Amino acid sequence: MNRREFMQCAAMLSAGTTLAPTGWALSEEQSKYLASRDPYIDQVSPELFSEAQRGAVTAAADLTIPRTDTPGAVDAGVPRFIELMVADWLTDDERIGFVAGIDDLNARGNGDFAGLPPSAQLSILEALEDEAADSPWYNFGATLRLWDSEAPFICQFKELTVLGFMLSKTGSKEFLRPNPMGKFDGEYPLGPDDAAYDKSTLLRMIAKEAG
Amino acid sequence: MESAQFDAIVVGSGISGGWAAKELTEKGLKVLVLERGQDIRHSADYYGEHAENWQMPFYGMGDRERDDRDYAIQKKSYAFGEPTLQYWNNDRLNPYVKTPEKPFNWMRADVVGGRSLLWGRQVYRWSEQDFKANGADGHGVEWPVSYQDIAPWYSHVEKFIGVSGQAEGWDQLPDSEFLPPMDYYALEKTALARIRKKEPHIPITMGRVAILTQDHNGRAACHYCGPCQRGCSTGSYFSSQSSTLPAARATGNLTLLSDHVVEKLEHDETGRRVTAVLAVNTQTGERKRFSAKTVFLCASTLASTQVLLNSASDKHPEGLANGSGVVGNYLMDHLAVSHTGTFVDDTDRYYLGERPNGLYIARFRNNGEQDEDADFKRGYGYQCIPLRPDWENTFNVRGFGADYKESLRKPMPIWIWALRAFIECLPNKSNRVFLHPTRKDRFGVPLLVTEFEWSDNERNAAVDSGVQAGRILRAAGAVLTDLSDARKLDVGGDAIHEMGTVRMGKDPATSALNKFNQAHEVDNLFVTDGSFMTSSSCVNPSLTYMAFTARACDYAAAQLAEGHLG
Repeated sequence: MNRREFMQCAAMLSAGTTLAPTGWALSEEQSKYLASRDPYIDQVSPELFSEAQRGAVTAAADLTIPRTDTPGAVDAGVPRFIELMVADWLTDDERIGFVAGIDDLNARGNGDFAGLPPSAQLSILEALEDEAADSPWYNFGATLRLWDSEAPFICQFKELTVLGFMLSKTGSKEFLRPNPMGKFDGEYPLGPDDAAYDKSTLLRMIAKEAG
Repeated sequence: MESAQFDAIVVGSGISGGWAAKELTEKGLKVLVLERGQDIRHSADYYGEHAENWQMPFYGMGDRERDDRDYAIQKKSYAFGEPTLQYWNNDRLNPYVKTPEKPFNWMRADVVGGRSLLWGRQVYRWSEQDFKANGADGHGVEWPVSYQDIAPWYSHVEKFIGVSGQAEGWDQLPDSEFLPPMDYYALEKTALARIRKKEPHIPITMGRVAILTQDHNGRAACHYCGPCQRGCSTGSYFSSQSSTLPAARATGNLTLLSDHVVEKLEHDETGRRVTAVLAVNTQTGERKRFSAKTVFLCASTLASTQVLLNSASDKHPEGLANGSGVVGNYLMDHLAVSHTGTFVDDTDRYYLGERPNGLYIARFRNNGEQDEDADFKRGYGYQCIPLRPDWENTFNVRGFGADYKESLRKPMPIWIWALRAFIECLPNKSNRVFLHPTRKDRFGVPLLVTEFEWSDNERNAAVDSGVQAGRILRAAGAVLTDLSDARKLDVGGDAIHEMGTVRMGKDPATSALNKFNQAHEVDNLFVTDGSFMTSSSCVNPSLTYMAFTARACDYAAAQLAEGHLG
């Protein structure tokens, strides 16, 4: 890709679309750019969960981060993200534990967590948090590592839900906001209702374990 | 390939090799650069640049199975990740031996441009105090070079690469040739004003970086996107890819072969002249022999050391140019220790753009003379980074629903100011690398074994860095401090400032290189990556590698012209 093509590509991306202008399509070379890719969750089809499991994950994610005046977890594709992460990112042992946690949600919901009224669903989630209350996962600063294999299911579920929301295209643009590049101003005002920026690099990717 | 056409072979295309290629080609020499890594093109191949998390597999959190398998060492770096993956060494394919009780992390690039694509871009001149340190306190051998010798070469390099920073006139941190400094965060201005009042002896300045604050030498000013290590298509930070290799290519005198790892050097019957460079094509396994009048080893500290040790012969039984026995010993890094303060000032201020730089607190301990209350030699500086914490720090609390969601939306009403001390490391003989007696890599080259431990001097300095950071942070107005007690330290290599295993010195009995980076025992061999470093100072070393490389090239070209090397 030459410089002009790159700038076209960049302009297209900053305009918030990956549709190529008429008469100009992404070459193979350009499409290898991460910055010209469709969202990750739209590129891969997960086929791990059963319908009942998928339903429970969707209902629990929706309760955790509901749609308000801004989009919620389901709008941002969080259930799909969770299924992809559980299928491909968790280790075998972690996956078994996590799927057992989903099944436990359904068991507590008489086989159909998603079919319960929201108040009953919430009671189950809150009960799970009561049981996990002593976990070090809740300690301040405990999230600055890549992943906590030992954390209780409800904690891991919440973590994947939050990551799946905050890092999604929807969450980063419509709940958080982009930090525009171009110049640096270190005294830019922050209004009382202004959202945080989405971020290029997660602290958990920087603060890795020594050894 | 007709190798007789080359005047010089440069091994490696990173920050040192790129400079050797530029300087030698610009002096009219025909240069062959051998680079073990894959070829990529400046700009066009920086595939991770400006990508969003949602575009990356696993939203940028990496394929853990792949990273554990192939990047077990490299994945520890802050700069490692999906958008930079193509730059890093594959530890499974290209391993070394990490001694469990004396661990050392060898961070390596594997690409044309080397770690100049990934470096932290902080550039600080060494001072006279640094060059005199070994002679003054007896640790290591004396430097054969003074600040006055190298100062013009610092200027030469800085004018080309572009260094933004503020002139301060401090003896312990000589000023560079500066482009305008970067701007401050509101919190930094607040903290600075208080420190200047309460602790006026603390020398704080804007970080000095090889990042352009205005257009320079055909490269564009920084656009403040943040993660430089992904590669910069506008060439706003200095790298071999953006700067030295294009300059070398423009002369018409450069030939660059990627995917060629150098295995060993051969010499003539006198043992004083390298006659051939043996390289393996990493894609085909084919071995080739290249020759030229002179050879510059710029493969990075450990890799150049490995080449010398693997070039042992009857004339050089302990490794090429190693009659002194120092090659492989006196490995150094910097010890980095982080301390943080929490501030409730300027919470109504945020920022636009991401500034890829922090403030710098220059060495103030044992500065000029040994402090009475210091139980360590030498000193340290701090790189200081402001952070505005947000949901990533706070989401692990109880609760569900709209209130929980809303609690994640705004930045926390605090600032964190992190002071990261970089501590000078003494040259200790027991910190070393050597060839494994039996284990070999996929090309049959003996594996490098690493052994590294911090000494009490670095440990004591680390503890002191916490005490002093506490004073500075409190003076700055921190309402809380979190100071490392230095009980758990980074592993050697983690600062990615490894150096010192082919040191220069005045005496051939105790050093491998002379003051021009030329091997005492091999006239046409120069080593100009971090391995030549006789001591480590506490400042980031890359600028010094570049200055010494340019100076060595000037000397070598003059020697060649007079017929002394060829």
